[in-house]
Amino acid sequence: MSALAVEGLGKAFAGEHAVEDVSLTLERGEFFSLIGPSGCGKTTTLRMLAGLLDPDSGTIRIDGTDVTDRPARNRATNMVFQDLVLFPHMTVAENVAYGLARSGVPKPERQTRVAEALDLVDLGGFGERDPADLSGGQRQRVALARALVNDPEVLLLDEPLASLDRALRGEMQREFRRIQRDSETTFLYVTHDQESAMSMSDRVAVMRAGGIVDRGPPRRLYSRPRTRFVAEFLGDATVLDGEVVGRNGETAVVETQAGRVSATSETANDHSDSVAVAIRPEAVTLGDGDLTGEVVDAAYKGFYEEATVDCGGARLTVRRERSAGGSTVQEASTDGGDPSRDRRFRVGKSVSLRVDRAVLVEDGDG
Amino acid sequence: MATAERRLDRLVASGPALLALALGVFPLLVLFVESLGPGLGPANYAEALSPLYRGALTYSIGVGVAVTAVCLLVAYPVTYWLAHRCPARYRLVGLVALTLPLWLNYVVLNYAWVWILARGGVVNAVLVNAGVLGQPLEVLYTEVSMALGFVYIYLPYVVLTMYVSMERLDQRLMAAARDLGATNLRVFVDVILPRTLPGAAAATLIVYARIAGAFATPEILGSPGNVMVARLVVQAVREYIDYGFAAALSFVFLVAVLASLAVGALFPRVRRELRQW
Repeated sequence: MSALAVEGLGKAFAGEHAVEDVSLTLERGEFFSLIGPSGCGKTTTLRMLAGLLDPDSGTIRIDGTDVTDRPARNRATNMVFQDLVLFPHMTVAENVAYGLARSGVPKPERQTRVAEALDLVDLGGFGERDPADLSGGQRQRVALARALVNDPEVLLLDEPLASLDRALRGEMQREFRRIQRDSETTFLYVTHDQESAMSMSDRVAVMRAGGIVDRGPPRRLYSRPRTRFVAEFLGDATVLDGEVVGRNGETAVVETQAGRVSATSETANDHSDSVAVAIRPEAVTLGDGDLTGEVVDAAYKGFYEEATVDCGGARLTVRRERSAGGSTVQEASTDGGDPSRDRRFRVGKSVSLRVDRAVLVEDGDG
Repeated sequence: MATAERRLDRLVASGPALLALALGVFPLLVLFVESLGPGLGPANYAEALSPLYRGALTYSIGVGVAVTAVCLLVAYPVTYWLAHRCPARYRLVGLVALTLPLWLNYVVLNYAWVWILARGGVVNAVLVNAGVLGQPLEVLYTEVSMALGFVYIYLPYVVLTMYVSMERLDQRLMAAARDLGATNLRVFVDVILPRTLPGAAAATLIVYARIAGAFATPEILGSPGNVMVARLVVQAVREYIDYGFAAALSFVFLVAVLASLAVGALFPRVRRELRQW
């Protein structure tokens, strides 16, 4: 039986559909992420699952039981809130014990479980602290422990990492994944940060304008996106419009503004000639290609460089890893000569490109 | 340079600070010396503590506690609604409507209730004419009318003070408590009450002593038989011209007020909140 089964969930605010016909199934022990740009309805969905917001339509089943009309306190879900909202007038231990106290767990058992939960999140011995005295990462852990200690069927996480800096976010992502495995709890993680969602999740659903547009394992969504929106939202793909000029099994040759590109097509029934092609920045190789263009923008990104190349009016994003052998910008600029050895993009320079991989995607909103 | 600046800072700050101190403490000192009388003895205090006056003292403190409690009971739901449920554009209107009595002379406010509650007043006229009552209610000049007047006059202070606290109350804390299994009552006890206790404490500090020591409202709306401290003080000054006794009675009252506030601060929860100030 699935841990969570949602069918046809809908909610409108003042006549505007915030969430429309959302259906989801989470298997027990799964790390599932719901991602999408801000305002796509993902937090609204989460609040309905938690019971903090009444849906206009649809059903929510937790572990097979219909909980649609139950208030938050009678649901086997717990939530880690955005900005955490720890109780500032309680100690760490009191925060973590709160849910257990409400469900009538006797005090001795409460104390053991709180200690276990704090150990699980690596905060053993922090029980008597004030939440205000903790660092951002530690507060994260308290929020996680406060929810997890109740042993929820589904743990709902509402962008809890949004306020952390990049390094801490990476650390917490690994921690979330470890804690999720150790506690064997089903996680439903909501975020606009596709990077963290992809690195943690077993499966991801992409939301847009109140509905889910695609779902699947992160690798599938990234390498074979079905729609233009998903391709662009997950990892900055460039999407070009074009005409199919030839097909060979699953591969189609597409004439785009930039030139001819071969693209794989999942949806073999898509026989319309006007198509869109998604190209990932890392799927483009510089030099000895059929496409030529001019670098119009270049940016240094640390271990890689990124350039925008204008190919006959179409703008392609190209990434090139910097070799480990110390090709700093200064060295590169004095390097000169052979373009294949020049590790630096120069604005205004003509380059030739080869597209290694491309995917046909549906245009439109779907 | 730095020390000169600091000296200037001190000079600028010391003037107003001394003035505030003088205005606050100096009259009290004068009053205290007066209370000891020419013989600098405790005679006035002995009299002020006699059973005759003790009754008035405890009654005054009791009225102060009860009316403050009623004001808080009314202000909690009202300010919660205003700060968290009322549509933003009506908020100011609601707040102004609730605090309107602040801007009127409070003797007038008391007399408004005489007019409302009198035998031939608005309430009785309407109720008797509508056939709800056979004969007019005798509410005026009782503790009920006095309490109504008190609440009417002091509620605005409590509402304003509580509103500030209530507005700062984080809604998400309530959602978190509900998510963790709290009923509405638990949300109130565990989140709303502790987060708004500073506001309630501030409101209590503002109105409690003023109610317990009020003169006009008990005189105008209260029963002549129930004597509050202020009447005794006024009597001592006006009728007996005994300033020393009036001063001693005031000091005993001050101590009683402070002692009753200290009792309130004995609650661990109140103490914990107060420590944050």
